[in-house]
Amino acid sequence: MTDAPFIEIEDLYFSRGDHEIFRGVNMTIPRGKVTAIMGPSGTGKTTLLKLIGGQLTPESGRILIDGQDVHKLSRKALFTLRKRMGMLFQSGALFSDLDVFENVAFPLRVHTDLPDTMVRDLVLLKLQAVGLRGARHLTPAELSGGMARRVALARAVALDPELILYDEPFVGQDPISMGVLVQLIKRLNQALQLTSVVVSHDIKETLSIADYLYLIADGQVVAHGTPQTLDANQDPRVSQFIHGEPDGPVPFHYPAEAFYRDILGEAPATQIGS
Amino acid sequence: MQSKFSNSAARITRLGRRGCDLMEALGRAGVFLFQSAIGLPSREGWRLWLHQMHFVGVLSIAIVLVSGLFIGMVLALQGYTILVDFGAEQALGQMVALSLLRELAPVVAALLFAGRAGSALTAEIGLMKATEQLTSMEMIGVDPLRRVVAPRLWAGFVSLPILTVGFSVVGIWGGYLVGVEWLGVFEGSYWSNMQANVTFINDIGNGMIKSAVFALVVTWIAVFQGYDLVPTSEGISRATTRTVVYSSLAVLGLDFVLTAIMFGGL
Repeated sequence: MTDAPFIEIEDLYFSRGDHEIFRGVNMTIPRGKVTAIMGPSGTGKTTLLKLIGGQLTPESGRILIDGQDVHKLSRKALFTLRKRMGMLFQSGALFSDLDVFENVAFPLRVHTDLPDTMVRDLVLLKLQAVGLRGARHLTPAELSGGMARRVALARAVALDPELILYDEPFVGQDPISMGVLVQLIKRLNQALQLTSVVVSHDIKETLSIADYLYLIADGQVVAHGTPQTLDANQDPRVSQFIHGEPDGPVPFHYPAEAFYRDILGEAPATQIGS
Repeated sequence: MQSKFSNSAARITRLGRRGCDLMEALGRAGVFLFQSAIGLPSREGWRLWLHQMHFVGVLSIAIVLVSGLFIGMVLALQGYTILVDFGAEQALGQMVALSLLRELAPVVAALLFAGRAGSALTAEIGLMKATEQLTSMEMIGVDPLRRVVAPRLWAGFVSLPILTVGFSVVGIWGGYLVGVEWLGVFEGSYWSNMQANVTFINDIGNGMIKSAVFALVVTWIAVFQGYDLVPTSEGISRATTRTVVYSSLAVLGLDFVLTAIMFGGL
């Protein structure tokens, strides 16, 4: 295994309509480690994962995965590269017309010529790893949110990828499922020597599994380092986020006209910025 | 004066933008069709296609055949009341068959198909998009255009012409029931006039060409609207409506153009 970073993001710019999402983002994601990308909601964390996966194209800048520029690949080469990646979606994104077993078997069936007995063994191994071997006959509609995410995780690692992207893995989970997912991500990373990218805003859980952190806000990386260095960071933007303070550089109030003027009916009806 | 000028300038800008949006959407739809339809299906592709043939084609049989029966019966009833005034009720079989084969079967079957199968295709693909199933498929390294769209596109293209044949057959039989069994037109003249005046290439062939064109257009609109929609509940409902409206208009418009080329001496 080389020491070269697995993903390199260089001077990335991306906008949706008039809204600039990234303004010159630079990141390097080390091989075999868990890297977390954190930031307040709406900073484009999921967008960043879609850019890494080649589903969106940046306006400028480039993203290299294992030395290959994702956005310069042909459609075929991109799909080949994606076989080396797994992605865990926030919603699980299980195929609703297939049961749990077939969902996990899907990548194996489409990308390998393995005989059915071997596919079965592999699927049962993956389901055993996420603790859902007994749920193999259920349909996605019969699963709870946490179970769906675990099945999706089993599917994401079905082909033993080198890279796995987690999109908000802890959102909307009860404490038990959250603990299970934290353990799973940690264990999978250690056992399979994966490179993991976790996009999240759940600070406690993310700090407990990440080897390296990037904090993005206002379209840029505002801080990066190990969990310890970020915890001690004095930058008010970093400290507000890491310590969960309700007000600070990221204001509690959406920009608006002065409150008393609004109450007295003096503010224009469409006023937003002030 | 100033505001009048700026108003019309804004209107022209809006019009221009809409034109650009329309051209862009047409371009996207063209690339989409090309990428979905090109290439030979794998063994798995055939299995998916067969599955869609059931969903798109077999499940549409009932509505298409029942409609065909009623349309044939109405045609015979209306035709008889007019023809009998001229003592030409023997030509009833020919009238029913030609109306169905040339016009009504391809057009009405396509309209029913757009409402039954087209809207379902849009909603299904749209829901797959909204629940990120298409995105996750892409990330697994499977092209959703080949796996999800292509089998549905081909199933629609193949099944509508077959349904149209069924529509015509049942319609002609419905005409027979009303004309011969009920109104008392001579059975021999019903069938022999039909046999003598319906030609295979001109009438049946042209009807089938129409049906194939409608099949392509309706299925293309349905799968594209599903794939291109805004992935929200409102987006899905709007796209489903658009599928039915655009498909119906396209079928009726194209029918005129094709009829003019085939039978209008153009």
